[in-house]
Amino acid sequence: MTEALQQNIAVVGGGPGGYAAAFLAADLGMKVTLIDREQNPGGVCLYRGCIPSKALLHVAKLIGESRHANNWGIEFGDPRIDVARLRSFKEGVVNKLTGGLGQIAKARKVQYIRGDASFENSNTVRIAKNAGGEDSLTFDRIILATGSRPAVVPSLKLDSQRMLDSTSALDLKDVPDTLLVIGGGYIGLELGTVYAALGSKVSVVEMTGGLLPGADRDLVLPLYKQLEKVFDAILLNTTVTAVKEEASGIRVCFDGKDVKEREKVFDKVLVSVGRKPNSEIPGLDRTQVRVGERGFIQVNKHLQTDDPAIYAIGDVVGEPMLAHKASHEGRTAAEHIAGHKVAFEPNAIPAVVFTDPEIAWTGLTETQAEKDGREIKVAKFPWAASGRAMTVDRTEGLTKLILDPGTERVLGVGIVGAGAGELIAEGTLAIEMAALAKDIALTIHPHPTLSETVMQSAEVFFGTSTDLYRPRR
Amino acid sequence: MTEFKLPELGENVHQGDLVRLMISPGTTVAEGQAVMELETDKAVVEVPSSVSGTVKDVLVKLGEKIKVGQVIFTVENGAGGKRVEARAPSAPTAKSEPKPATTAPKTAPSEANPVQSASPKATTPAPIVPSESSEVSEFKLPELGENIHQGDLVRLMISPGAQVSEGQPVMELETDKAVVEVPSSLSGIVKDVLVSQGEQIKVGQLIFTLEPGATSQTHTQQPSRAEESHDHARMAFQAAIQSEGKTEEQALPPDQPPAAAVATFSMPLHLDRAAGAENRGPVPAAPHVRRLARELGIDIHNVPGNGPGGRISEADVKMYAKSVIVAVASGTGPGATHLKQPALPDFGKWGKIERVSMRGVRRKTAEHMWEAWSAIPHVTQQDKADITELEQLRTKFGPKAAEAGGKMTVTAIALKVCASALKIFPQFNASIDMEKEEIVYKQFINIGVAVDTDRGLLVPVIRDVEKKNIVELAAELTGLSKKARDKKLSPADMEGGTFTITNLGGIGGTGFSPIVNYPEVAILGLSRSSMEPVWMNGKFEARMVLPLSLSYDHRLIDGADAARFLRWIAEAFEQPFLLSVQG
Repeated sequence: MTEALQQNIAVVGGGPGGYAAAFLAADLGMKVTLIDREQNPGGVCLYRGCIPSKALLHVAKLIGESRHANNWGIEFGDPRIDVARLRSFKEGVVNKLTGGLGQIAKARKVQYIRGDASFENSNTVRIAKNAGGEDSLTFDRIILATGSRPAVVPSLKLDSQRMLDSTSALDLKDVPDTLLVIGGGYIGLELGTVYAALGSKVSVVEMTGGLLPGADRDLVLPLYKQLEKVFDAILLNTTVTAVKEEASGIRVCFDGKDVKEREKVFDKVLVSVGRKPNSEIPGLDRTQVRVGERGFIQVNKHLQTDDPAIYAIGDVVGEPMLAHKASHEGRTAAEHIAGHKVAFEPNAIPAVVFTDPEIAWTGLTETQAEKDGREIKVAKFPWAASGRAMTVDRTEGLTKLILDPGTERVLGVGIVGAGAGELIAEGTLAIEMAALAKDIALTIHPHPTLSETVMQSAEVFFGTSTDLYRPRR
Repeated sequence: MTEFKLPELGENVHQGDLVRLMISPGTTVAEGQAVMELETDKAVVEVPSSVSGTVKDVLVKLGEKIKVGQVIFTVENGAGGKRVEARAPSAPTAKSEPKPATTAPKTAPSEANPVQSASPKATTPAPIVPSESSEVSEFKLPELGENIHQGDLVRLMISPGAQVSEGQPVMELETDKAVVEVPSSLSGIVKDVLVSQGEQIKVGQLIFTLEPGATSQTHTQQPSRAEESHDHARMAFQAAIQSEGKTEEQALPPDQPPAAAVATFSMPLHLDRAAGAENRGPVPAAPHVRRLARELGIDIHNVPGNGPGGRISEADVKMYAKSVIVAVASGTGPGATHLKQPALPDFGKWGKIERVSMRGVRRKTAEHMWEAWSAIPHVTQQDKADITELEQLRTKFGPKAAEAGGKMTVTAIALKVCASALKIFPQFNASIDMEKEEIVYKQFINIGVAVDTDRGLLVPVIRDVEKKNIVELAAELTGLSKKARDKKLSPADMEGGTFTITNLGGIGGTGFSPIVNYPEVAILGLSRSSMEPVWMNGKFEARMVLPLSLSYDHRLIDGADAARFLRWIAEAFEQPFLLSVQG
């Protein structure tokens, strides 16, 4: 590409979507400017999301296992927790990763500007720099990767140190005696798990009739059973009608058909009722970008907005709000700008809930198939029949394949159990490669591992599982 | 004592030579056991015994000619002699080891015995029924009419679990000719529906599968129906579209995305929908294969997968691409308009654009014009006809045509003129078969008339024009034009043309180059007639002059012929009397 034709692009937002787009655009020969408030690229995922929460969840798992070890004749004393050191471990991970990204940006000659962007027109961005002053820069193409933020419910709005959202909960200022988690989605359950492991008495309140709405119930059940033990209370079909700060904590009022205690005081309350796209970008009305329902920026399958100069990717364009979806979209957008014929058309996007046990699924779920009225066949392999699960004393897991009844093609995979998040990748590959149940059954899986359960569930489908006798179909 | 007689061996087989005898007195035989081999003029067959017991006397000898009904041997303590005849037809199949025996069942019954070979045909459907009815049957898009290979699914009337009976309309399809209801040729309960609204469906494509339902009595006829089903469906289809085109009005207007949705959905998303891309399951192709298809500009959903479960490989995509290119090169195939065209620039760079799916008539017109333009070396011959006198006649006979329900238009007269010309110049009423290197002369004259409708260009065909008078033609043309504009034309109304007339005179213009309506070889264009000074009788006179443009296929028609043909037409317009003398 000659210098004259070199495209000049800006990426607004340095999260996993934004920096993936920026880096690939640079690799494809474009001149790239990446704009973000933070010191380094990383975004919510690295600074206030996936990464810090996983560092803490790892610790929670260790604590859980040390207690579990009683069953095997190994007894540890109660853990002594130095919150400050734990916090600095977590921050060390974050700094290392984000610092690394900063260096990679430099190496790729991506210009990194700390500041807030607004639009002057479709091609011109005004940047209010953190360091002070403003820049007005013009680009051929602009990719919006502004992400999302925790949603706020007006009735739960209370200006108090005791009210947490996912960001402040991850700051880990202290370990409260009692914690109420409002919202039984994956963020609430992950953070609740962390605090429960560190010693808080955690209650979860969920408006609907089950945890993790949208996930298949058979996958949620083993987690529910475990959380019942770990948490103080799980309040389903319950809404929080009011929160009020008192000297001893936050008084919370509950309502719902199953409610027994109408009011209770908690040391801290974590509100995790979902996330909201950051589409309120100043000056967006000076472009042709359209913002649709629920605040998502509207894009086509090439991630192009209604404004030909502007692309958008990641949480700000729609569900699922997941880092790996964002980065794939970011790469697609960069390639499309480079003139490649690409589209964001994955056959499966995996989702993982990093609780203990973990829940992971990819492709079609049973819940979705039922909603669509689509006929499927499901093959399940309970981990009670897995040798490996027995050796780690975690037999509550389940692996299942969701199959097309005609072609026996794998349409979806769902797993609950220890390490489910690591096992799901095979399922996504199977779906993307259009594997049939037979392909999975005939692929040798290492023994003894939990990954075998994927193969074994395919064998169950054919009624020929070595380790599980089921009458033939 | 029981006798074993030679049973019936088959129609027209009355005797055979005994080539092998497998029994002798004292042998114990059981029913079904082969006792001899007989050579008939058709085959060597093994004859099994229909009786059991100990052989007492053998009454035949090797090499002897044995007739049906002749006693072969007798048994003691025997049984079953009376069942001789009943068991005979199964004789050859009873045992399998000797070679002649195995050939016998193949040849003997079918050739030697028409009655027997006919009777299995008549009875086999019965035993098949149980297996047939427990199986899932498939409904594929039947043949809809000549040159109709596909249509856009505008309305789906069934869903899984729905009860469908034969003849019941199951969907509405917009073809480039009409919107038609497609009736089911099967009865049962819908299992899977394999198409979705907005999708383009090809003839022969699987639409839905059926499980036998409560109304399974139709299944008893299925084996024979399988062959008929296509004809049947086609007939039902033709009937359906002839029922006054009611469905056409219900259908979505073509080339027009539903306007209400635009406000709520993002436009790009919405346009994807208009193109029928929504609601398609994950395509069974690996990511790099999907990418390859995108790079080649191929919709991966159109690529047939040859792998297990319909998996699409890189080779499948390349094969499909090749087939599209070949189709383009030979000027046929659905991709003809897509691939050969050089890549478009990114119009979005210069401003906002809107992309709308090209459907129905517009798509067909695009493909057809491309084919015609690519296949035919066109030449256009221009001429003028003085229609001053004809105009007087036209006004005079106008009321007569009105009486018959038509309008005496120049086009109506042109129909008669062209029919007469085509009789005299048969090469204009022909087609070229380049593959066989033959010229196809048609001994019928069916003339298509281009009609401008709000859906686009339609060409209804008037049949046997040479057999009709101008008043009849005027009435028929008026009827067909109305039908075209009211969206009531059936595919049959637009088939079988041998020549085409297109009249732009109502709009204006002094001449144009029409494109020959392939596989026809010529088309006559009429422009607006106007008063012109014409040199006659030693002075300029004001005459009404009609400009004529004849485009023709130069492969078949030479320039001189075209000039003569068009001159003849011009003169016929000028002297209508010529029609009655020569036409």
